[in-house]
Amino acid sequence: MERRTALRIIALGAVTSGLDALGAPTHCSVQEGTAWTPADYKLQFFTPAENELVDQLAEIIIPADAHSPGAHEARVSLFADLMVATSNDAVKEQWRDGLRLFQEAAVKSSPAEVIAQAAAHEAYPTTDLDRFFIALKQMTVNGYYTSEIGIHKDLEYIGNTYVAEFPGYPPLV
Amino acid sequence: MASTLKEYDVCIVGSGAAGGIMAKELSEGGAQVVLLEGGKRVDPSEFLSHKWPYELQFRGLRDEKQAMFYQGDVKSSIRYENSDNVSADRMRVVGGRTVHWNAVTLRYAARDFREWSLAGVEEDWPISYEELAPYYERIEAMIGVCGQDDGLEILPGGSHYLPPLPWRRSERILQRATKTMGITVIPVRKAVLTKPFDGRPPCHYCGHCMSGCDVSAIFSSATAMIPKAQDTGNFTLRQNALAREVLVDSEGRARAVSFIDTTTGREEQVRAKVVVLCAATVETARLLLNSRSPKHPNGLANSNDVVGRYLNGHVGNGVTSYLKELEGSKPSNLDGATDHVFIPRYNHLFPKKHYTGGWDIQVNLANYMFPRQALRLPGYGSEFKNQVRRMEPGLLHFGIFAKVMARPENRVTVDPHRVDANGIPIPVMRFRFCDNDVALWRDSNQSVAEICSTVNSRMFSEAGDKPSGFASHEVGTVRMGTNPKTSVLNGYCQAHEVKSLFVTDGSCFTTSSEKNPTLTIMALSLRTSEYIKEQRRKGLL
Repeated sequence: MERRTALRIIALGAVTSGLDALGAPTHCSVQEGTAWTPADYKLQFFTPAENELVDQLAEIIIPADAHSPGAHEARVSLFADLMVATSNDAVKEQWRDGLRLFQEAAVKSSPAEVIAQAAAHEAYPTTDLDRFFIALKQMTVNGYYTSEIGIHKDLEYIGNTYVAEFPGYPPLV
Repeated sequence: MASTLKEYDVCIVGSGAAGGIMAKELSEGGAQVVLLEGGKRVDPSEFLSHKWPYELQFRGLRDEKQAMFYQGDVKSSIRYENSDNVSADRMRVVGGRTVHWNAVTLRYAARDFREWSLAGVEEDWPISYEELAPYYERIEAMIGVCGQDDGLEILPGGSHYLPPLPWRRSERILQRATKTMGITVIPVRKAVLTKPFDGRPPCHYCGHCMSGCDVSAIFSSATAMIPKAQDTGNFTLRQNALAREVLVDSEGRARAVSFIDTTTGREEQVRAKVVVLCAATVETARLLLNSRSPKHPNGLANSNDVVGRYLNGHVGNGVTSYLKELEGSKPSNLDGATDHVFIPRYNHLFPKKHYTGGWDIQVNLANYMFPRQALRLPGYGSEFKNQVRRMEPGLLHFGIFAKVMARPENRVTVDPHRVDANGIPIPVMRFRFCDNDVALWRDSNQSVAEICSTVNSRMFSEAGDKPSGFASHEVGTVRMGTNPKTSVLNGYCQAHEVKSLFVTDGSCFTTSSEKNPTLTIMALSLRTSEYIKEQRRKGLL
């Protein structure tokens, strides 16, 4: 609730479960640390090739368009690297295997084609690749919409500030 | 050894909603009070409330903004065994959960104290609404509650409310639609200031209540009660003092509390004529069960084996929906003070169901910065991205809170073989929902789906196949009651077996309703503080 960019809304329970599902890092502790910038970020989990693949796939999921930049410019792959690097072994394994599967499949067709196939099974995933797409999309969504680009340029979010009176909304017509 | 120590009049354990009121009232009444708090104070200037996600290492995920309120090993020092999907929300910080809450403050209705008499389930409380009403009134006047008296039997009101929070457009649309269903939408009542009050400024509508209010516009024991106790000169706050055991004399009377100073690791004691436990439902039960002595071999005040039993808390669900009517509107600042309107229980107004109890709904307690629909909408690509953006202005979120039965088999125990970082046996929770809980939960989800359909919104429910709890509202492990065989405390929150022992946190609840427990905790704490003062005057404590 709790409650979060996923701000916690309520301390517990189903009311909040959707947003903390990211990576299900049950054994990860929040480390002492501060914000990082893409410029000074060093990869902790992905190989440079994996990072490039994540960058490419994330941009297919949330692309740049006429309205705003996409996942590539928001550097979602670096966010993904940090989150996976600080998650438990099961999550790390899923990403290592998932990226390998994507790479292998993409050699035969193209990354866009592999995404399209996996996304077709989003509601009822059947293969490891299908399941990895869901994790990849969730990571991309979390990374993009918590970035400066996602919040300010895409959503054009107004708020997180001090106002004397609740400015609210246009009156109901 | 203990005899050389200073003896206080009262030792309070825990500085949250219950402990804050108790500390202020008793020290203002002239008692020498010591309060043990397992955590340390966090100054509001240290809160991360206003940080942008990209200013934080994990973008605010993993409860990054709230981690400072869960000090030491509090998150890991608990086990769940043979349990459904529930969890307790234990905190360790000066102010307890009032530092990190949404501040919804609801009175229990007269019927909520009389489950046995009216529905033939559970037990009646040993006190009535009429007895508690004057204390609700005083607490509302003391802490600053916005809202209004809506004249509803199911949600009694008082006469000391600050102006209600202004409504969002989505909330007007909701009210218009639910009217046709016989469902009432009212201004929420919460301990958020809508004008200056008690030296604190009004809300600045940033939407970050749950990460700690940096200006104290939201009530917190740490900034609104503890300082008043300190001003009296009668009050001693021991921070980082994790209570281990309530110690008794040869007659079995509570006379001291032993604790670990978590900064030194040393065990110390404080002596007191009266001990008041305000450590919250799980920790208070743990403390009593860990307090074994020849007179109380089964734990303090527990000869009837009731301590730790009747654990319950809300069963809930979050439903995020998006109004078609507002799709594609221009972005505007919707943050506010999270939820501004509220749907009180309504199922009792409709034909009788096959279960007992009800639910209420906190509307729009969701955060407006993160587009939750992006985690649920199918697809990808530019169309997906545009759809996320178009839906965002129509956010209408429902937080459902439903009653759970108080049943003896649901309990907290301690295991001497499993200890925390300080060597204190940790609590073990065992909890199963009963058929009534599940039926109620299912019906609440069905009802909110109907509301979403009526209001014409696209709905994403977070509910899985099975219910989950407790939404930080766990209560009931040290219950009040008239029958000493099935309860631990009398109607003044005083232990039947140990007259110098009181418990005023949520553990003292006899039964639950759908309403948030905090206002009732505070009213009970105030009432008990008066009883303690009176008993002390009479020389009975």
